[in-house]
Amino acid sequence: MSTQADATPAPIAYVDGLAVYYGAMGHPAYQWTVNESAPLQALSKPLNECRVTLLTSGGMSLCSMPPFDPLARNDHRLDVIPSDAAGDDFQIHDAYYDHTDAETDLNCQFPIDRLRELAARQEIGSLAPRFWSGFMGRIYDRSKVLQESAPAFVAELHKDEVDLLIAVPA
Amino acid sequence: MDHQTVGLVCRVAEAAGITTVCVSTGRDLTAQVKPPRSVFVNFPMGNAFGKPFDRKMQLAVLRAALELAVTAKEGGVLVDLPYVWPEPFQFNPGGADT
Repeated sequence: MSTQADATPAPIAYVDGLAVYYGAMGHPAYQWTVNESAPLQALSKPLNECRVTLLTSGGMSLCSMPPFDPLARNDHRLDVIPSDAAGDDFQIHDAYYDHTDAETDLNCQFPIDRLRELAARQEIGSLAPRFWSGFMGRIYDRSKVLQESAPAFVAELHKDEVDLLIAVPA
Repeated sequence: MDHQTVGLVCRVAEAAGITTVCVSTGRDLTAQVKPPRSVFVNFPMGNAFGKPFDRKMQLAVLRAALELAVTAKEGGVLVDLPYVWPEPFQFNPGGADT
């Protein structure tokens, strides 16, 4: 007997799956960051007045740039992607997810064309001049993220007068 | 692990006054790091906005993220989007030297 619940698969349990996968290789259990609360900054203006940017951690770089290290560990590299970059001018190097479809159409994972359309339709106010690609691979040194790389990134967002960041991990 | 890193980045940005929305394909990974706002899409990792050239789905996910930017009332909210991937897909740890 089929029910609606059967038709909707449960989300994949990545935390448990990764524990089994790495445990089998003899690695000690990884201590994930678990937060009980989160900050909230409400938008101060309507969406159609907001400046929006995108961040991908999917190992996507412009063809004119060096590739990301597909097996990167603790790589804090962060690339500027001009927000008018051509969607077919990217390379993807990241061994931690299947980017076959994103190579066919970048918008599967980094929807630069779709966001441009929403700006053209004035559903959002404007695009920031710069989109971003970084924080890919496995970054274990979380204190460096929290104290250095993320604050440096946020300073750049402020320079671009960004109101809203859409972030897409892979 | 990018889900954790990007979640941390969103938390830092939000605390510095920039509104953020995370578009997640790893529900448990996102739920534990707790970015300020997340939409979860139950699609394979790498297909957060759907299939190639499915412009309608890509726009739907993007608009859902934008909507949450407007409507969220408390930090750490995670909204499950209703879209269903048409085929079964499996856990893929990645990391293979390809």
